[in-house]
Amino acid sequence: MSDSRRATAAASALLLAALLLIWWGDSRRPQPDALTPRLTGQQEYCTTCHTDLPEISPSHPVEIVGCAVCHGGERLALDADLAHRTLRGGGNPSDLSVVEQSCGGSECHSGGSAEGRDHIQRVMTSVQATYAGAITHIRYTFGAQPDQIAHQGIFPVVDAEVSTTTGVPALEAFDPSQDSSPSIQTFSQNCLSCHLSAQPPAGDSFARLTGCAACHTPNVDRFPEGKIHQLTTAIPYTQCNTCHNRGNYDLRSMSFVERTDVPMDRLHDYYQPIAQFTQCEWTLDCVDCHTRIESMGDGDIHSNQSEIEYVQCQTCHGTLTALPRTRIIASEDDLALKLAFLNPVMDLSVGDTILVTAQDEPLWNTRVLPDGTYELVGKATGQVFAFRPVMGTQCTQKPDEQASHYCHECHAVQR
Amino acid sequence: MRPNFFHHLHPPTIPAQQSRWRYTLGAGGTAVFLLLVLVVTGALEMFYYTPTPDQAALSVQVISYHVPLGGLVRNLHFWAAQLLMVVTMVHLARVVLTGAYGPPRRFNYLLGLGLFVLAILLNFTGYILRWDQGIHWALVVGTNLLKTIPLIGDTLYEILIGGSQPGPATLIRFYAWHIFGLSLGAVILTGWHVFRVRRDGGIAVPPPLLRRDEARITRYELVRREVLAMILTSAALITLAGFAPAPIDAPIREIAATTSDASAPWFVLWVQQMLKWGDPFLWGVLVPLLVLLVLALIPYILPQPHEGELGRWFPRSNRLARWVLTGIGALVLALTVLALLSGD
Repeated sequence: MSDSRRATAAASALLLAALLLIWWGDSRRPQPDALTPRLTGQQEYCTTCHTDLPEISPSHPVEIVGCAVCHGGERLALDADLAHRTLRGGGNPSDLSVVEQSCGGSECHSGGSAEGRDHIQRVMTSVQATYAGAITHIRYTFGAQPDQIAHQGIFPVVDAEVSTTTGVPALEAFDPSQDSSPSIQTFSQNCLSCHLSAQPPAGDSFARLTGCAACHTPNVDRFPEGKIHQLTTAIPYTQCNTCHNRGNYDLRSMSFVERTDVPMDRLHDYYQPIAQFTQCEWTLDCVDCHTRIESMGDGDIHSNQSEIEYVQCQTCHGTLTALPRTRIIASEDDLALKLAFLNPVMDLSVGDTILVTAQDEPLWNTRVLPDGTYELVGKATGQVFAFRPVMGTQCTQKPDEQASHYCHECHAVQR
Repeated sequence: MRPNFFHHLHPPTIPAQQSRWRYTLGAGGTAVFLLLVLVVTGALEMFYYTPTPDQAALSVQVISYHVPLGGLVRNLHFWAAQLLMVVTMVHLARVVLTGAYGPPRRFNYLLGLGLFVLAILLNFTGYILRWDQGIHWALVVGTNLLKTIPLIGDTLYEILIGGSQPGPATLIRFYAWHIFGLSLGAVILTGWHVFRVRRDGGIAVPPPLLRRDEARITRYELVRREVLAMILTSAALITLAGFAPAPIDAPIREIAATTSDASAPWFVLWVQQMLKWGDPFLWGVLVPLLVLLVLALIPYILPQPHEGELGRWFPRSNRLARWVLTGIGALVLALTVLALLSGD
């Protein structure tokens, strides 16, 4: 055998080895798993690797919604690096910087205001997102603006349709470099950690995500690296407390003084010592009374959260002269049924009578019982509470003193 | 043994001295083989590639991840193209450093240089066809260089890009150039180039009286050596394709969107580095054209290598050409290294 023949044989063996190596490398790749969600009709391969991810919520079934419509990413890529390169909001597509692309769309949560489905517009203009309440108050206090009307927020935002008397048409971005007051500078450094776009301060008790997930993905601290795939409307009060009741602002040092105790007992430990509470205010969860409009906004830009807080004791209990407002669920399209579907703590159906707020928001976790009393099921706990109207009781309240703080005078619990 | 078709493509015998690996480096033959690999793998890719802005990068993802053996074919195409750049450079260097460009081979030297330019253009257009975020520099900065050419720049840009800025027309034009215009040109020029090698008397050797070694090898041996080169090249290609996938990135969603990672393809990094010095027309257009012109003029203005010195490395008679090429090579290499270092 000549030299060149021997070399050819050796080279052929090398080529064969290279081919075998390729074959071996290829055989180690996972078998692609295709999913074609009905919403998009476009194949995606995320479940090739994400095999044991729990469904994010019963209202977002993966075979209908899929992954990419919310998370973005490269749905066809089988290489983790490329697949994740265009993820929206990193692991959290509900971050407000990308929420319109992730959760929005007329088919999803940017539906028309008439249907009450414009959640994104409402959240983007809400005080929790703009932080306009605190910014306005601080800028007014330190002379940067003459009035207590919101001019600046965390991000610029415009409201094309102002529908309330307190609504503001637009906010500019809060820019502390334009203000000479050192207090405003310090405020901007120390006190901007509790709006929906802010990363929370360190510590398990502050642990929350940003955007929609700040509220709708509770208990992130219980999951390693905050890796949790869940959205829910059953939001326990502990989730609200990742921002609220976490300490006090010190206006002299313009800093947030974190509470040092570990609150265990809700009645005695959680809330400000000076506040007064009735029993339902510390046994129910925040979301049992505070409605969608109150927590996610009414679509207008407001200067203070108090401008949209409207649920009062009388919303559920009525007054001496009037029963609380109620509504009979007339059809399957009733919003109350849709909300009850999202968080089925209560078996609600057409024909049931529920309580409604002064703005006709359904309190879908309540029901009027045949004997004229009411029941409420805790949205996060499933606990059933029975309660009565004020009408027909010994209450001595004056007819023109119906705000909740008048009720507190007699009904506040001892702390 | 009766010579078959492939044997007949070769002369019956060639000088043994000049058919050694250490003389030819096997570069020209390997380049032809790589061109064949590129034609075949490119044709296979055409079955799946969609040259529209919204589908291009997605179809590349489909080829890479979902078409059976598609990833392998795409990686082979990519690596064959990169190797072709290297191999043609080596071939050019070999021809200059052995003084094999002298008459009657001057014209074939120009044909080869033309092929080298075509290889660069093919590589550049193929790179653009990915239409993903990784090609930003080439698509925006690279093409904008055309606009800096006085008088004809804007028109040239309009013709090549299909508008005043990159868009759907750009992709289809680059596609047409890549798979048709440039490829056809490359195949035809390669045929001509190879034909001219034989017409010009085969590989450059001293005239019979000045030869020190009269030994010759047969076409059978030559073909065996070529097959050996092909097998080795294939093994290298397959290993590279298997373990170093071709670059891929997320689709371009907005051409205007700037990316932080705007890096040029590796073979034009030296131009990108020069662009940092200012005037884009001077550094981005004139200097590269000047380099090409100097290369093209080597056989015409520099002293001719002596006949007796042909067929071996570094003949003394073409010392000047050697220094010119080494100078250009060192500059390009230094600029490339600088660009790589500043890119990180």
